[in-house]
Amino acid sequence: MVYLDNAATTGQKPPTVRRAVADALINFSANPGRSGHAFAQRAGEMVYKTREKTAKFFGAETGEVIFTQNCTHSINMAIKGSLMRGDHVIISSMEHNAVIRPIHTLKNNEIINYDIAQVIHGDDDATVRSFERLINEKTRMIICVHGSNVTGEILPIKRIGEICKKRNITFVVDAAQTAGIIPIDCKESGIDFLCIAPHKGLYSPMGLGVLIARKPVLRTITEGGTGSYSNLLVQPEDLPDRLESGTINLPGIAGLSAGIDFIKNTGIERIYKHETELCNMLADLLKKDSNFTLYGTIEKTGFFAPVVSFNLEGFTSMEVADFLSKDGVAVRAGLHCSPLAHQSIGTLESGTVRVSPSFFNTKSDIYALSHALNSIKKRKNIRKNY
Amino acid sequence: MGKFLIVTGTITYAIQGRDILRKHGYSANMEKTRHGLEHGCGYSISVKGNIEEITAILKKHGVKILDIMSL
Repeated sequence: MVYLDNAATTGQKPPTVRRAVADALINFSANPGRSGHAFAQRAGEMVYKTREKTAKFFGAETGEVIFTQNCTHSINMAIKGSLMRGDHVIISSMEHNAVIRPIHTLKNNEIINYDIAQVIHGDDDATVRSFERLINEKTRMIICVHGSNVTGEILPIKRIGEICKKRNITFVVDAAQTAGIIPIDCKESGIDFLCIAPHKGLYSPMGLGVLIARKPVLRTITEGGTGSYSNLLVQPEDLPDRLESGTINLPGIAGLSAGIDFIKNTGIERIYKHETELCNMLADLLKKDSNFTLYGTIEKTGFFAPVVSFNLEGFTSMEVADFLSKDGVAVRAGLHCSPLAHQSIGTLESGTVRVSPSFFNTKSDIYALSHALNSIKKRKNIRKNY
Repeated sequence: MGKFLIVTGTITYAIQGRDILRKHGYSANMEKTRHGLEHGCGYSISVKGNIEEITAILKKHGVKILDIMSL
């Protein structure tokens, strides 16, 4: 199997991650932050060290790192924990349903209002102006994806963060596609809430999310046991406990720790360079053939998350992915849970085929994909003959 | 100089406080709170030294102290 669906989840985890997960399950599979025995203390130490490591990696403080169920959970906590009745929110036109659906639900429940800032592809100045134009006296939050999961386009989060800081607006960044691939510093970029999917670019197992909460969360969306202040009936105020009710994902956190080490030891710039080279290689191959339509701003900006979206004339995106799967190539087709992004690039009806390499892919994987795509093209000719 | 148990409540504060005190040359350990449940279940730092200096260091680094017990 040639796995090129790493924007959904990295298919191959580094051996160090697999070993760390196994080690946690075999050698200290106890509930961290609950009991006082040696196993629980070891588990608690590992969780703390990972919290500390994650904080340093993303320019935050240790107590600001919250372990959640997934990135969507993190986004929901930031949104529903912060917004008040009557607030106005601005989201970008490239958001994932993880952002759109909670925001839309709050609007449908007549709690908030929201507007969509159009991302002007390849023009950061115009994109920033799109956000600025929509700010009003009730604007309390701006939510922005860092890298689009459809086109890979990077949004100018540092500049949007500066606007938020100046206007006292809470800034939420969805870094599902970029954490571990592109450096992010919460303090430098003025990010109040950073939402992370560790099972993607950080090479961790699934079932773990991270929320970096640099502003107080007014309301919790889950309450329960935290192992602390257990004599009180109210949820504790102290972070991370306030936002971490119930048992956390110990093996996943062990995997995250090893995943961050892998990125630091390999070099985030090296990972980014390798993945973008593979994307550019594919884009160059596809551009030579008029049967393919490429989407996004790869050649305009030279800076994008490692994702290539395309369509092949005569086939639906789903058909292409299905044929590729039969040829042993894994990609993702359709709308990628991002209807706004597809609307923005004009593919809401067709969707796209998305190819997303990881550090473990090679040029031969791209050649295998290209070869498989050429085989699919031949099917079109057979179709025509019928 | 006595030996003290500093009740921090959360395990995060307890490990953070322990590490800070160790960096300042104190022999400190994190443990599950054993002395009463006035603050519910939670974690503490056991440490030997001048308690005024110790609490000043912890407060400076934002470690929340719920209680101090002399051992």
